[in-house]
Amino acid sequence: MSRAEKKKKLAVYTATGCRACEQALLDLNYEVNDLSRFAEIVFWPYILGSTWAALDETEVDVAFFAGAIRTAADRQAALKLREKSRLLVAVGACAAFGGLPGLANLAAPAPEVPGAARSNGEPALPGIEPRVSALSLIVPVDYVVPGCVPTQNLLWAAMLALVCQGASPARLSYAAARLPAALAEAIAAGVLPPRGSTFAGEKSVCASCSRIKEEKKFGTCKRPYQEYQETGRCLLEQGVICQGVATQEGCGGLCTGVGIPCRGCFGKAPAIFDPGAKMVSAISSTFDSSNPQEIAALVENFVDLAGTFYRYVLPSQCALLVTPSKVEKDADDNL
Amino acid sequence: MQTITFDSLRWQEQPARVTITVNGGPPQVYFQRIAPREVAALCQGRPVEELPRILAILSPAHHLCAARALDRLFGVEPPPLALNMREALRQALFYRHHLQKFYFLLTSLENPFMDFWSSEARRGLHTIPHQLFDDLRRHVSLAQEAAGILGGRADHPVTAVAGGVSRYLKEDNYPRLAEIAAACRNYGLRLAEFLREEVLAEGKMADLLELATVPLATLALGPEPDSLILRDVAGQETARFAAAALFEKIGLHHETWTYEPFAFLRDKGWKDLGAEPMDSLFFVGPLARLNNGAPLAAPLAEAERQRLIAALGPFPHFSVAAAYWALLVELLEAAEHLVVLCEVEKLTGPALRTIPAGPGRAGHAALEAPEGLIYHHFQADEHGLVREAQVLEAATENNGLFGLLTRQTVEAALARKQPWEETKERIELSLLPF
Amino acid sequence: MSDFEPKIIAFLCNWCSYVAADAAGVSRFVQKPNVRVIRVACSGMVDPSYILKAFAQGADGVLVGGCWPGDCHYIAGNHKAMRRAPLLKKLLSEMGVEEGRFRLQWIAASEPGPYAKTINEMTEVIRKLGPFPLKRSAA
Repeated sequence: MSRAEKKKKLAVYTATGCRACEQALLDLNYEVNDLSRFAEIVFWPYILGSTWAALDETEVDVAFFAGAIRTAADRQAALKLREKSRLLVAVGACAAFGGLPGLANLAAPAPEVPGAARSNGEPALPGIEPRVSALSLIVPVDYVVPGCVPTQNLLWAAMLALVCQGASPARLSYAAARLPAALAEAIAAGVLPPRGSTFAGEKSVCASCSRIKEEKKFGTCKRPYQEYQETGRCLLEQGVICQGVATQEGCGGLCTGVGIPCRGCFGKAPAIFDPGAKMVSAISSTFDSSNPQEIAALVENFVDLAGTFYRYVLPSQCALLVTPSKVEKDADDNL
Repeated sequence: MQTITFDSLRWQEQPARVTITVNGGPPQVYFQRIAPREVAALCQGRPVEELPRILAILSPAHHLCAARALDRLFGVEPPPLALNMREALRQALFYRHHLQKFYFLLTSLENPFMDFWSSEARRGLHTIPHQLFDDLRRHVSLAQEAAGILGGRADHPVTAVAGGVSRYLKEDNYPRLAEIAAACRNYGLRLAEFLREEVLAEGKMADLLELATVPLATLALGPEPDSLILRDVAGQETARFAAAALFEKIGLHHETWTYEPFAFLRDKGWKDLGAEPMDSLFFVGPLARLNNGAPLAAPLAEAERQRLIAALGPFPHFSVAAAYWALLVELLEAAEHLVVLCEVEKLTGPALRTIPAGPGRAGHAALEAPEGLIYHHFQADEHGLVREAQVLEAATENNGLFGLLTRQTVEAALARKQPWEETKERIELSLLPF
Repeated sequence: MSDFEPKIIAFLCNWCSYVAADAAGVSRFVQKPNVRVIRVACSGMVDPSYILKAFAQGADGVLVGGCWPGDCHYIAGNHKAMRRAPLLKKLLSEMGVEEGRFRLQWIAASEPGPYAKTINEMTEVIRKLGPFPLKRSAA
């Protein structure tokens, strides 16, 4: 087989979100390894101006899909790329979980935007769906690379696993990426990892966070604008809400490392059923009181729980919003 | 009647398409943004101190603008170290943003993902040597590294917070930042030489000079703190006002065929695109900033600005070619500012942030982002939750310009009987530098 | 709406509230049939995720029954439940789940009457509120 024939055909697309995930993929091309050695990019509207019509003429081996599903055009794109691609990868928090656009589901419903063309000749706009969705709620997704923005090493791990399949010489430090053993071994062996794998770590961010963890007991609640130690002690122990305890690791504790509490952009840790429930449990178990009035006063300090605990994951990881069948599947794994 | 749709325009931060209907007479041309932003919905009810992180998804500079607005809302002034770190981050973002645009420009000449090692490629002649792409991206990567050191990450930065920044730099960051700044400045000079030879004058892209020109008013930050200056198409100042009054001067007009509103000047009232005179629109960005005609403090950038004037005439300018050149001038300026800022004395200090007593009710900030002037206005309730967040993006302010540039390009293409594929490319090249 | 029968899941602690429920049955207290009981060792072992899972799987209301403070078989397990409840209620209400759907109630082993009263009251409150309000996405 010639080298050209061995190359995998790639597609890259963003629905509703931003361009940071595509930027991260572009960075791989230049900072890690030249994609053209093992891939042929057949569809990348942002960089190559590829049209949907052109996609009809070709096949796709691996599609990297970023962005949340907000409009009818996003849904059509998801269906089309699922149909066309052998492997569909949800890249970034928006595609994986709904991302920040998912917060719109907490706000009052958007005003109706009709999708049909107007009679005066003005062109139509793709209509807004009643709720923001993650890619996995629309089509089956083969692999997930979470994060807002996904880190270079995890994105490269996905590229190595799904596109290079052992063919690239640029190696990756698995310890740095904290990939689970099964995933790392598949990459090293050049075979596809188990379908449904998430390119992230096995535990919660606390496992990668460099801060010092002592005892979790505090009687205060601090908003991030108040005073706290920017390095050293665990943020949650200082009274600042940090969601590392409920979030899947893989970023290396990026935000906590620069003094900012985690907001869960990698999605819930695998062992957790619902990140909101986990945070309620984690925070309330630190309350140093058994007096109902004192506890009620403490709870007053915690604001916007839904918007904070489900900041990046509302459409797909809030248990209250997902059908029983999906919940049952998670339940068998987690509870 | 013929309807032509350009599906996805290259290089647009938000998904965009162009729909053209031709029915014998002049074409109807629509530049459409097909995904909604919904900033207000994302911010409503959030703790106000979370806004810098949430709004960072609009563009990295929005992170800085939100932090500045929070400084006002919390009634604190950040310590000098924090102001310097934020400013250094802003300059790194400028460099990266502008350099990225030149990358995109080069990809119009050569597929950047072509297999440069294949025998076909090695036999053929390259318009753009692979080394050039590599070199350029390597410096984008350096700028991103600097932004990462200062901001936590280049895309979606996190370190700017109410009252300051969230973390001191580490020992080995200082020499690295200085190294990066020097490398960026040196590369800026090399790139300038290449662009002047190949792109801006005669050369591979001489027809850049034939692309659209749309004279409009411009809006930019003034020299006094928190002031904005509006200039007319002759470059003369027509209004100077405090940033806090921005939404009194500027309104937003909505059309049903695009998700992006149009910013317009209230005292002229909204006029449909194409109506004459087109004096209710304005634009922002590198060219808008340089249209104040003032010399720049940074010497290399000023020299480049003089070259622009020598080649294209004095400011103000409105052509696409001038817009590309303006990017180059600002690229050099950003590198020079970065060199000055990335000194140990500037980036060390006893305090990281000023701790506020508690949230106030309102805060605002205007900031020159790489893409143009941006503005935030937040209102909070008694719990410090967002009651209302108004965010003005460069894309909204330039929406009118984009519509007019697209229309002009299509009209010229029809007059020349150009194939639609070429027209799409010319539209993309016209919109890129703004 | 008139034929809507609320489905209530009741997590009852083994040592007090489950005994009360059992006694209520044996003593022939009139009880609405809307409750499904899950016996747990202690109200303190009811993780907030159980409550969310119950709602996710079709419950219209969730009751957690525990011993009165001071009476917990495991000393302070019910204190843990007491600490969780207000924060969980706040989260639920922000998500649009109305007040009254989730209830933490202390019920002693000797209180079959109050147990029956609790579940009867809760059934009617939820009948008025209607089915669980959140629409779930298809998986």
